[in-house]
Amino acid sequence: MTPSTVAVQTAERLTAAAGLNATLDWSPELLATEATAAEAIGAGALHGMALAVKDNIVTAEQPTTCASKILEGYQSPFTATAVNRLRAAGGMVACKANLDEFAMGSSTEHSAYGRVLHPMNPDLVPGGSSGGSAALVAAGVVPAALGSETGGSVRQPASFCGIVGVKPSYGLVSRWGLVAFGSSLDCISVFGDTVARSARVLEAISGHDPQDATTFEREPLAPFVPRTDLKGLRVGLPKEYFPDDLDPAIRAGCNRTIALLRELGAELVEVSLPHTAYAVPTYYVLNPAEAAANLARFDGVRYGARRVGLAGDLRALYQATRGQGFGPEVRRRILVGTYVLSAGYYDAYYARAQQVRRHLALDFQNAFAAGVDLLFTPTTPSTAFAAGANTGDPVAMYLADVFVCAVSLAGLPALSIPIGRDQGLPIGGQLIAPFMQDGAMLAAADVMERHLDATGEVR
Amino acid sequence: MKISKQDVLHVARLAELAVDDAELETLTGQLDRIVEYVAQLEALPSEQTATSFHPGPAAVRLRADVVAPVPLARPPEAFAPAMRDGLFVVPRLGAQEDA
Amino acid sequence: MTTTWETVVGLEVHVQLATASKMFCGCSTTFGEAPNTNVCPVCLGLPGALPVPNEQAIRLATRAALALECTVHETSVFARKNYFYPDLPKGYQISQFDQPLATGGVLRCESPDRGPLAVGITRLHVEEDAGKSLHDRFPGLTAVDLNRAGVPLAEIVSEPDLRSPAEARAYLTAIRQLLVFAGISDCSMEKGSLRVDANLSVRPMGQTTLGTRTEVKNMNSFANVERALEAERARQIALIEGGGRVQQVSLLFNAATGEVRPMRSKEDSHDYRYFPDPDLPPLIVTQAWIEGERSALPELPDAMRARLASQYGLSAYDAGVLSGEVAIARYFEAVVAAGAEAKASANWIMGEALTDWNVLERFPVNPGIMAGLIALVANGTVSHQAGRKVYTELSARGGDPLAVAQHLGLVQVRDESALETWVDEVLAACPAEVGRFKGGEAKLMGFLTGQVMRRSGGKADPKGIQVVLVRKLS
Ligand SMILES: [Mg+2]
Ligand SMILES: [Zn+2]
Repeated sequence: MTPSTVAVQTAERLTAAAGLNATLDWSPELLATEATAAEAIGAGALHGMALAVKDNIVTAEQPTTCASKILEGYQSPFTATAVNRLRAAGGMVACKANLDEFAMGSSTEHSAYGRVLHPMNPDLVPGGSSGGSAALVAAGVVPAALGSETGGSVRQPASFCGIVGVKPSYGLVSRWGLVAFGSSLDCISVFGDTVARSARVLEAISGHDPQDATTFEREPLAPFVPRTDLKGLRVGLPKEYFPDDLDPAIRAGCNRTIALLRELGAELVEVSLPHTAYAVPTYYVLNPAEAAANLARFDGVRYGARRVGLAGDLRALYQATRGQGFGPEVRRRILVGTYVLSAGYYDAYYARAQQVRRHLALDFQNAFAAGVDLLFTPTTPSTAFAAGANTGDPVAMYLADVFVCAVSLAGLPALSIPIGRDQGLPIGGQLIAPFMQDGAMLAAADVMERHLDATGEVR
Repeated sequence: MKISKQDVLHVARLAELAVDDAELETLTGQLDRIVEYVAQLEALPSEQTATSFHPGPAAVRLRADVVAPVPLARPPEAFAPAMRDGLFVVPRLGAQEDA
Repeated sequence: MTTTWETVVGLEVHVQLATASKMFCGCSTTFGEAPNTNVCPVCLGLPGALPVPNEQAIRLATRAALALECTVHETSVFARKNYFYPDLPKGYQISQFDQPLATGGVLRCESPDRGPLAVGITRLHVEEDAGKSLHDRFPGLTAVDLNRAGVPLAEIVSEPDLRSPAEARAYLTAIRQLLVFAGISDCSMEKGSLRVDANLSVRPMGQTTLGTRTEVKNMNSFANVERALEAERARQIALIEGGGRVQQVSLLFNAATGEVRPMRSKEDSHDYRYFPDPDLPPLIVTQAWIEGERSALPELPDAMRARLASQYGLSAYDAGVLSGEVAIARYFEAVVAAGAEAKASANWIMGEALTDWNVLERFPVNPGIMAGLIALVANGTVSHQAGRKVYTELSARGGDPLAVAQHLGLVQVRDESALETWVDEVLAACPAEVGRFKGGEAKLMGFLTGQVMRRSGGKADPKGIQVVLVRKLS
């Protein structure tokens, strides 16, 4: 199929899927322009592939909103490196995808443009914060999409939606053009209908970028060497990720997958990551602290929606612009982040969390150093939950990230693949690899994918 | 209670966020719940301290001193909420508040 | 009994590092462009932009630290300093906080009261500048130009080792000289490439603990720093002697009135919530690289002064003047290298060429020509007085020194018969003085020589006149 044909079909599917509320800006005209450019490039690893792009990744051709009222009307004058690389590989931006405002959330309910619906059940959430990208891939609108992870925002919705979600090693993909949320955690990440397709996209966008001092001076990710089995692989099962009160369906799905891993020749060993219980609280100190500073630039002075006219007062301009422009979850994070950095509390919260972060990273390093090649865990503690179920209690929402945020703190590569269903809803299994072993992780997931009954009921 | 209304107003001032009276109560409760939750870090034995961790490169790579700005697809006038004679404008800050 | 008060001053100096591009982006640092044209996603603080540090800025800051005899740390950390201000695009300034580039140095300068001083340097760190806020451009508005935003700065903090406003000025003069010598910065307060904040406290003489200090800002020249600190010292002493207490505040100096007045206190404004910038890995420099930068440092003012004095046999004063700026010393050494005698070169440069330098910021007479002129005076072709006229002409219009002297009719006349004619006329015109000289008043030789010189229109060679006079009068 030519890029133009793909563009036309994608536009039709985007129109048909409008009810999901998964898209922000898109138009058939822009898609046609993308197709023309892709045709001009000719070949390329992503030739003619249309991708949704989470709307916290800037593109110069259309608005970037971060699903926030504060960026109403903002169109970036530059484009993210990841998007430039997608296009250079022949890919096309199909649309900007809805998200939790500034990527803060785990349900894509915190969008100024309304919540995203789960493609399989409109009463449920698709997960978040990259819920728009996930829903579009799950609904078959696009075969792949860019999301972003700060603490599980791709793996968790991939799990909820029954698709593949890959978070690369920190520093493998440039953050230039990704609107910063938690700079030491943020990773542009990939959704795909298959492991192989997700890998192609990740390969295309990865590699050193001189514009991002936190990228490593490495070549782009090489295509993984496909394998036929998992012989010789030691897969660790961290006992902290299989607590006694783990949801029985999730446990059943994991057990089925563990049996498959064994059948495929992997050796399974129990390991311990002793500081796991501290991961979520550590995350919810460091992430708000970084977010509070990263979001200080949204002050209504240079861009974005300003709430007070020139006859007003500067402080009032700041406070109204930010107070009314940011939604409740963003304001909570900014206030918490400001609190944990403020005089008298820095040591107890921020400095402490930085130290615990080292312990969390060391837990993983120790497990891998003891001869484990990969870790397998559930991705989420439950299947997709109902809209509104966790909006009353922010901490309950945070706990949806219990199995994904330690990995983010450690900067490791991880992915979620569908491992079965419970009452029709997808369950995700998570693979975690040593730092920069993204390729080995994808190769293992690829084998698993071929043998898993991803749509079968697990009990 | 770890967080009082006063604390919320103090950090809101630092963060330049308007918090109206109607939401102060709820917000205080939510922040208190969050801070109570993250305060469990205190439970970690204090001898278990370590240096902070960042997953990025161990050393920053420096840029050669070359004039080569990333070009703007459109000038500041295209996105500025208010501009006069090429200058961003805001309501005047009291002259005595100069930083 | 009245208390004698001791003044304690510490200075924070921000200097712009002389780079082509900004600290964290590729925008030009050129001064005077149309507003908001030297800007990019990074220095506008646009969503999605990231900083990448400028190597040359780190190099220059390191050299500054080495010139100040600091310890340069192999690991330092960029930190975010959070506050809101319209000219601060990101809502934080990227600076360094608990792990600065360098600590523990010294600046040597000359106190007007205490002689040679070694002022402690607490720390030197790199940071980015903010933009420029214009409060008087449009009525009721603050206008913001971000061309300056992101320009690289070194912040240099001194210990509270200074004891008077005059010492503060001496410190500033010395640090500017040092940084200009080392090629770190042009240190122009006018262009904003050097800025000073001063901390001042007073205490009864003999007390060892420090009094409460205030911070004085907004001073646009070294002279005004001294004036502002004089005013603040007087204000604090009067306050304490009147039974009051000094509050720790920031004050602005008003150059028009010579007064300092407190800034409206910004509650919370000192809670900057510093934390390591997660966009920037630690700055690592190796010991070998530091040593390379140390050896790349040019000769610094103290060393140059000592060398000029010993190598050319100059007085301490002359060596000090000639090493005041690198360009002056270079010029001096070039004139000597072109064959002029050192002491004479020093005199001619300090007497004539520096006048031009102070106005033009260059030397209009090239070193070879200058050496030629000095030789003409040394060998008696022109008098010293005439030499100055030749210099003025060379400076204004150029040319060859001898040709200029001839053209202006300034070459000294040594021709015996011409001298004899003038001598005879003078002897005839001054019979009384001739008589007194013959009667033993030897000092009248000077008077008679002067008369001959005058009659010759300044052209007669003084030595020749003497020879003829002695012969005629003996
Ligand atoms: Mg500073
Ligand atoms: Zn710039």
